[in-house]
Amino acid sequence: MTQPILAAEGLSMRYGKFLALNQVSVSFERNTLTAIIGPNGAGKSTFFNVISGAYRPSFGRVIFEGRDITGSPQHAFARMGIAKSFQITSVFPQLSTHENVRVAVQMRHSRFDMLTPRDSLTELTHKADRLLATVGLAAARRRPAADLAHGQQRCLEIALALACEPKLLLLDEPTAGMSPEETVAMMDLIVTLARERTVILVEHKMKLVMGICQRVIVLHHGELLAEGSPEQVRANAEVKRVYLGQGV
Amino acid sequence: MGEITLNLLLLQAIAGVALGAIFVLLAIGLSLIFGMLGVVNFAHGAFFMVGAYAGVYFYGLSGNFWFSLVLVPLTVGVVGLAVERVLVRPLYGRGIDYPLLLTFGLSYVLVEAIRILFGVEGNPMGPPALLRGAVDIGVGHFPTYRLFLIGATAVIVAALWLFIEKTRFGLIIRAGAQDPEIVRILGIDISRVWLLIFALGIAIAGLSGILAAPTRAVTPEMGIPVLVESFVVTVVGGMGSLAGAVVAGLLVGIVYSMTSLFAPEFAEMSIFALMALVLLLRPQGLFGRTGLFG
Amino acid sequence: MRDAFDLVSRHRVAAVVLVLIAFPWVMPYEALAINILIFGLFAVGFNLLFGYTGMLSFGHAAFLGSGSYLAGIAIVHGGWPWYAAIAAGTLGAAVIGLLMGALAIRARGIYFSMVTLALAQCVYYLFYQADSWTGGENGLRGVRVNAIKVFGVELDFVHPMTKYYIVLAFVALALWFVSRVLASPFGAVIETVRENDRRAAACGYDVARTRLVVFVLSAAICGLAGTLRALHLSVVPIESLHYLTSGHAVMMCLLGGMGTFFGPFVGAAVFLYLEDVVTTWTKHWMLVVGVVFIVFVLFFPRGIWGSILHWARRREA
Repeated sequence: MTQPILAAEGLSMRYGKFLALNQVSVSFERNTLTAIIGPNGAGKSTFFNVISGAYRPSFGRVIFEGRDITGSPQHAFARMGIAKSFQITSVFPQLSTHENVRVAVQMRHSRFDMLTPRDSLTELTHKADRLLATVGLAAARRRPAADLAHGQQRCLEIALALACEPKLLLLDEPTAGMSPEETVAMMDLIVTLARERTVILVEHKMKLVMGICQRVIVLHHGELLAEGSPEQVRANAEVKRVYLGQGV
Repeated sequence: MGEITLNLLLLQAIAGVALGAIFVLLAIGLSLIFGMLGVVNFAHGAFFMVGAYAGVYFYGLSGNFWFSLVLVPLTVGVVGLAVERVLVRPLYGRGIDYPLLLTFGLSYVLVEAIRILFGVEGNPMGPPALLRGAVDIGVGHFPTYRLFLIGATAVIVAALWLFIEKTRFGLIIRAGAQDPEIVRILGIDISRVWLLIFALGIAIAGLSGILAAPTRAVTPEMGIPVLVESFVVTVVGGMGSLAGAVVAGLLVGIVYSMTSLFAPEFAEMSIFALMALVLLLRPQGLFGRTGLFG
Repeated sequence: MRDAFDLVSRHRVAAVVLVLIAFPWVMPYEALAINILIFGLFAVGFNLLFGYTGMLSFGHAAFLGSGSYLAGIAIVHGGWPWYAAIAAGTLGAAVIGLLMGALAIRARGIYFSMVTLALAQCVYYLFYQADSWTGGENGLRGVRVNAIKVFGVELDFVHPMTKYYIVLAFVALALWFVSRVLASPFGAVIETVRENDRRAAACGYDVARTRLVVFVLSAAICGLAGTLRALHLSVVPIESLHYLTSGHAVMMCLLGGMGTFFGPFVGAAVFLYLEDVVTTWTKHWMLVVGVVFIVFVLFFPRGIWGSILHWARRREA
């Protein structure tokens, strides 16, 4: 079965006269780690926001596991198995780190149950603990999320995305603002996660992704510039021109 | 009910424009304050009422309507300066609900202060001698003062448009509404800008109060239905848009006016029905942009 | 000290009810205590929407008022028994909440507050116009319930103390329900919507539907408070639907402590007691209330009970 898990068909995004995305068509195979790169203003964020359900595209379709999901409401995405992390950390600030993850895990279990005391749902608590351990936040479980250090918050972002047991994980610049050590740890985590699910990564630090990804997609001025393996992309003359002096 | 002639319909529509003129001014003031400061001014109706009472006071004192017309926005604007400086400014950055709550409390204070100063009964104000009576506008006789209202509003809106589109300060307003950070980075003292914008919005509310005073009962409670109507206009037109305030204000005024011709008991409801319709079909307002402050 | 706190918050309903059982004995007269109970419940309903879910409504008088009117109409025009009237008022308020909420929630962000004010004004006009049912400007009179029969025992509803404890029974039930909801999985979802609705949606929660459900629950609780008020006063004044009554809910909640379980009652008690005292000195109570409210918004946004809790938790840490 070689049906791609996600396919973008002719995606375009228009803001007034400005075309942020122009007919981008690309597909993603199951259980691959793909990076979307491009210079600033290339349309990476817009593309990410369209495939993650934040925006409805002006034109084009998003196909997930063979189903057209274009224009589905945001909350449907996680339920379908598409989870994302945000470029600018977006967590539940006043809730504890543990509760952040626990409530995200709870989504698969119950959403409108008004009478069961949630303290009795211990399997959710255990799942949350396991996720916290996976991202290395077990020690910080009781602290309010707002009090976490920036790097820890980025890890919490990942944990929240993992909580809904996604088949497809979309990460928007997961290492933004992290120190070199934290970045290495994050990249290791992403490689581990990519063994069991499909991961699509938006990054502008190219050196990071070239070593770990199986496939790279290059956007420029809202259009698809190049796609292929890291070696193919690195050798691509157009890509070199666009990234002149950036050291691909 | 007599015959409904075309003339009657037109007259009623023009009455709706006169009613709408006040809505336009109020909506512009609200929108300026919200667009620039992100503050929903729950005391807007109260400042309208204060403007009406200031008009009664100055007109009574001086006998000169035009003089009062200038003095009222200035004095109410000064009150606005003090309010922003002392009460609203400490709340920036605290969350969008706090300035709203504060202005809500302020409306109580303003209403009661006016009750203390002027009594609870109400102080009527008539139009100046020059603007009394009615004028034949072709389709029938129409109150001169209401024609003046329409004209005055048009002049004020034009002046505001020029100010916003053509002056440097106006450029700062437009830039600041799009992205406050940019304005700050450019080295402009944003807090000074906010102060002036707030005062300007309040001054316009006060001005609309004195302009409206000859057309309705001047009581301490007059601001409450006006606040509700301003909100309806804002939801219909969409915040942050001058065109939206104008179109929505006139639309609401005309809808109210025409409904009171055919079904007077439903006149109040008609504007809520309009609001409900807009919420169902285009929740960001006719001229609002999706995602703007949403 | 921490153990005492934990014990109380795990049994918060019992704790609050115990306080409320003792309450009328410390109040100068029972009618004030009953009023505080009723408005406390009103504030609890409002708090569910504002304090816990983060939605600031300025139209909650619509639910208190419609609860009162519907219960009153059931009794006066329909001859219904008291318990059917209470059910009618509560359910009717919930239905109005569903209609209002469905519209208001389409308004994003700060528009929501404006729309709730406008829609509540609409409800006010509707009830005002239907004067053959509601009595219009004069309000609805004759909502007389003299005795309440429960399990064969006849309770004298006219006697203030008996009336207080009957009303308390309903309030306790409502509090138990609110406490269950807040402690449930849905209660956690409510918090996520308040904290970060974009994240909540990304996690798979239907934010709009969650908000609507809370809106309806809030309306039902305020409607119940309204029915109790109608029975207590024997009349339904038109002011029940007025914007100032919506303002009462906002003020009581802020004064007491938004997002706390006991705060709304503290707020209602302080507000009504203060009103009782101040109006004996001056008729300009509105000025006092406005100034007090402004002071709280600026300096004590956590409210009285909220500040106490915050201070107590800081000392424990």
